[in-house]
Amino acid sequence: MKTTPRLGELGALFFRAGNFTPGGGTPATAILQRELISTRQWFDTEDFALCYALSRVTPGTNLLAFYTAIGWRLRGWRGAIVTLLAGAAPCCVLVGLITAGFERISRNVWVAAGIEGALAASVGLLLAGFWLLVRPFLTPRGWLRSVVVVAASVLLTRYGGLSPVSVLLLAALTGFIGSAQKEGKRE
Amino acid sequence: MSFALLYFLFLKASLSSFNGLAALPIIRQDLVVTHHVLTDRQLNTALVIGRTTPGPIGLYMVSAGYYAAGARGATAAALALTTPAVLVIPLLVFAARRASHPRVQQVLQAVLLASAGITLAVTLPLGADALHSPLTWALAAGSLAALAFTKVDTIWVMLGASAISLVSAFFSMRRLG
Repeated sequence: MKTTPRLGELGALFFRAGNFTPGGGTPATAILQRELISTRQWFDTEDFALCYALSRVTPGTNLLAFYTAIGWRLRGWRGAIVTLLAGAAPCCVLVGLITAGFERISRNVWVAAGIEGALAASVGLLLAGFWLLVRPFLTPRGWLRSVVVVAASVLLTRYGGLSPVSVLLLAALTGFIGSAQKEGKRE
Repeated sequence: MSFALLYFLFLKASLSSFNGLAALPIIRQDLVVTHHVLTDRQLNTALVIGRTTPGPIGLYMVSAGYYAAGARGATAAALALTTPAVLVIPLLVFAARRASHPRVQQVLQAVLLASAGITLAVTLPLGADALHSPLTWALAAGSLAALAFTKVDTIWVMLGASAISLVSAFFSMRRLG
């Protein structure tokens, strides 16, 4: 059952997911997916998919649109402001500070070792995110369709040169055509 | 260069793209070629910083803003980076009313599976770059197991992996004297 978070809880989650995750938007999305759906049960899979898909077609940085969409769905305007600021403001400040002292920091072997470990963990995180997304669709009746959609998306993104937005639009089109065919058969 | 002009230039670049790196050619044209407030080397360094720090890849804009005009430039870039995010709200208002329709459900399911495929496709090159020793492979496998099959908090997994890597670096250095 879904529960509604307090603004403080929402801010704390986005502060951690947005500002302590190396590797760009995909690992942060994987963390939020796990926390929002599986661990805290604030969101269901369909709501998450809606926010994810719409943030991909919003101009600008998709991850920030995603934060805003989640916050807005959970707590309206105040939620959107909290998630956007908590997820983005601290790392913007951090980047500014790092830029100011970049030459000195990058030569520190301890900083480099810490980053290396976090990057390796982020690979595990991405794979866990992948598994948690796909697992609900591996049902006796639906597993083949799920495997085909996932495999086609990997191939089109990795080897077909298509952008993620194009792949998502193609998937949406496939889903639309599939549902129209189902309705046609029923009629 | 004024704060308003910097904000406008970064906002234009941000609005013209659907991910952080796609804005790069526009930023280069405006700040390096036209206004000469940034060099190619500084833009490259900004990219490295954006890729190696936590947060979205588009954060390199904040770094580029800092190189262009100090803290004022970084602030203008950060504001321009976050402003377009609110555009998702009218899209959600429109889509949410139709979200329970079976056809929309089918579309969302396909989108969700495709997003899993995109995640996997992104993981492959990242893995090739990050997993270059038995220790990094073990850290990735351990993180996968902990995150997929337990309820342990993600931040502890990331911090734990960093700590193990630090300890390993410490012992490697001691061995080398």
